[in-house]
Amino acid sequence: MKKILLASLLMLVVLTISAQERRELHILSTNDMHAAIEQFPRLGFVADSLRALYPDLLILSAGDNRSGDPINDMFDIPAYPMVALMNQVGFHATVVGNHEFDSNQYGLAKLIGLSAFSTLCANMEPDPKFKMHIKPYQIFDCGGISVGVLGITALSSLGTPESHPARMTDIKFMDPMETIQKYSFLRKQCDVVLLLSHLGYKDDVKFSAELPWIDIIVGGHSHTQLDGGEIHNGILITQNMKSLPYATHSTLVLEGNKIVEKKAERIAVAGRSEVNNTLAALVQYFSENPAFKRVLAVAETPFVCKEELGCLMCDAYIGETGADFSYQNAGGVRIESHPAGDITVCDVMKMDPFQNAAVELNVTGKELSDMLISCYDNDNQRFPYVSGMTCEITLNPVDGTIKKLVLLDKNGKKLNMKKTYRVVSNSYSVAVSPSKRADEGHSLGITTPDIIKNYLEHQGHVSYEGRRCLKFVSK
Amino acid sequence: MKVNRKKIEVFEGALVRHALLRYFALKGLDVSMVDHLTVFDSRGHEIDLDAPASQHEQIKFKIPRTI
Repeated sequence: MKKILLASLLMLVVLTISAQERRELHILSTNDMHAAIEQFPRLGFVADSLRALYPDLLILSAGDNRSGDPINDMFDIPAYPMVALMNQVGFHATVVGNHEFDSNQYGLAKLIGLSAFSTLCANMEPDPKFKMHIKPYQIFDCGGISVGVLGITALSSLGTPESHPARMTDIKFMDPMETIQKYSFLRKQCDVVLLLSHLGYKDDVKFSAELPWIDIIVGGHSHTQLDGGEIHNGILITQNMKSLPYATHSTLVLEGNKIVEKKAERIAVAGRSEVNNTLAALVQYFSENPAFKRVLAVAETPFVCKEELGCLMCDAYIGETGADFSYQNAGGVRIESHPAGDITVCDVMKMDPFQNAAVELNVTGKELSDMLISCYDNDNQRFPYVSGMTCEITLNPVDGTIKKLVLLDKNGKKLNMKKTYRVVSNSYSVAVSPSKRADEGHSLGITTPDIIKNYLEHQGHVSYEGRRCLKFVSK
Repeated sequence: MKVNRKKIEVFEGALVRHALLRYFALKGLDVSMVDHLTVFDSRGHEIDLDAPASQHEQIKFKIPRTI
């Protein structure tokens, strides 16, 4: 009888210990927020709610926190609003996405210095002169569960993240997979190993086959909407589309040191009615961005039509990039006129609100001519504005198609149709000009409003009175 | 990359949006419709228009019933 009692007691003790050893790790993750600051009051509410249930909630971002809203990106300290909002939500760490380089090495270093969360990236080594406080990984203690978070970012075929090369000089980048494997020691040191990845869904899945020592990949970069998460090769992979339509709540259940369950659910952020009021007040504060009122240049004469404004935009593309010619779709000039006097950041945002990237192409005169015609056809038969040349356009009176197009250089000479020229335009115009050409071009890693802003600041004073770049010939 | 199985050339650094704009322009369709599309990757996951084109070898789109 005594033996039975002892055995029962022993069983009870074992069961109690087992029950105590069942632990849960909860993670709230985001990716590719792209400066969606308007979603932060709602994201804050989601974070508060989960934290109330799970006090040791780990909050992570898989990169590309910035670039997408001028309120954030054109703040006095570019992209500081997102950092302040992420601090307030209580983020623990982010990985470096390719867009984190959008305000160059020093801009990124400054933002990291202002962050209350860690910035992780194992496959980059910035020169010490930047004082960029990036760690390859960090081990977080989440209520007794040790979680090793390793950051990794994608590299393009050039061996650097997709951004302007000048913004990444004196930063060494290493192969993602080779780098990740160097940190396999985290398996022994941690209960849970998490890869905070800005590699994209395709590589997350591909890499999962070779990383049996990793438990979960919190991913970003490809803007892939998963239904919570997916298990590939035993690894839970998560990701959402950009700008916070959802965040992901992942749960990992441990018994002793063994993970016995992994699951993830997506939580709607956009469209919620509940908000965190402190974050709402912060967003309101940032929305009244004084940087928007900054004067960039003085217009000595008023801009009386779109063509004059279009000429200014095209001059900016040439002036800031050194291209031979530039063009801008007419539909992309969003104001009709501008009075003489100050031109502010806000004016530029109204003139060119789309955050298009500047694209450079090397094309022949013939290819350029075909692109302009193609742009006209796809922009509701509005001929694009140009700089570095003028265009003589003859229209077919019946259907409005272009019958003849003559491109003239600054001296009034016809462009050599066989010669190759450097042309800059915005990404929209290039995309809607699908004519045949040898060079598809490449993004310059800078937005066109940024180019216009820089150009106006460099000019100080501008006058476009009577300036025309298009001549319609009637026959 | 391929849009609805048609090969589309895009510039380096292009977004999914640019591939779709080019596809629509080549097909003579109204490019303003691009903003209303629902887009999916090769595995059927929804992606957004600002996803990097380099991340997606093949995409498909659906035109919503009401635009």
